[in-house]
Amino acid sequence: MTNASPRAASRWLVYAVAGLAALALGVVAFRNLPAPDPAARDASPILAISLPDPDGREQSLSQWRGKLLVVNFWATWCAPCREEMPMFVQAQSAHGARGLQFVGIAVDDVPKVRRFAAEIGLNYPVLVGGYGAMELSKTLGNSVMALPFTVVIDRTGNVVLTQLGPVRAAQIEKLVADFL
Amino acid sequence: MPGPARPDSLLRGAGGTGSPVARAFAFVGAAFLLLQMGPAAAQGKLLPTEEAFRFSARALDPRTVEATFLIADGYYLYRDKLRFAATTAGVAVGPVALPPGKAKEDQFFGKVETYRDRVVVRVPVDNTAGGETLTVRAESQGCADVGVCYPPNAQAVTLTMPKAGAPAGPVIDATPPKKRWFN
Repeated sequence: MTNASPRAASRWLVYAVAGLAALALGVVAFRNLPAPDPAARDASPILAISLPDPDGREQSLSQWRGKLLVVNFWATWCAPCREEMPMFVQAQSAHGARGLQFVGIAVDDVPKVRRFAAEIGLNYPVLVGGYGAMELSKTLGNSVMALPFTVVIDRTGNVVLTQLGPVRAAQIEKLVADFL
Repeated sequence: MPGPARPDSLLRGAGGTGSPVARAFAFVGAAFLLLQMGPAAAQGKLLPTEEAFRFSARALDPRTVEATFLIADGYYLYRDKLRFAATTAGVAVGPVALPPGKAKEDQFFGKVETYRDRVVVRVPVDNTAGGETLTVRAESQGCADVGVCYPPNAQAVTLTMPKAGAPAGPVIDATPPKKRWFN
């Protein structure tokens, strides 16, 4: 390319710019890429979770395999969590017999969990994870590690909902209609 | 054709000459804009706790630290969950007078006070003479208005205490603002 014409030089420049553009776009796209869609995920890692109940007995989530399983991370210091849980209690009563199963995972300590459970008449199991449960929720898609955080697993073991923030009653009704 | 300029004329305008090189640059620019607009338009993105509640501090004098939380819009901290401690051996934090927050009646927690936007707290420290380094640890807990709460979070900064009569030290951020490439 000793005597490249201005036209050829310009062409090379276009290639160079295009190459840079592709690289830059790749960088930007990568940075803005949402986490892999958890809604399409196999729930095996979640069902493998084992945590103690308030009596200190290890409980594996796999015991509820085959149910429409709503795993709700919560804490007594989290007002939006406390707000949504009475609705979970109602939904558990209404649809439990058909296969809806709520399980709470408390990022909290046992005495506070017991007190609140008694207060709202909790009718579904709660496991107590302390702060470690927060880290656990991160691996399930709770990237900012806030509460409430809810993962719903259908009867065939697929994650069908991952939600940070309160779940509405209408969402639960829809899940029941769609998956039970 | 009336109405908005067509994309190719926009590109030519942006590129100036309409040469392939200019067009390539204009294309890159436009693509950047589109990509950057995407996540901003799709709302509902929550900040990690240390970005929602930015802790910083500076040493005012040998015996006083000024602690600040910058609270992102749409987020708040609970007044009664704020704690300060010195993690440097032999140094203790004195009683802290927290400024009043905004009172609200919480259906679960009763009367609570919350801070929004910014809270500045003077933290007295014992056993400092000036010249030494001091690590101040702040624990806080807050929520976002969209209906999520963050667990109690500890952040720390290490300050050099000024000698008596010396000017206040610089503001030190617990989590320096992240460098971002394109914004």
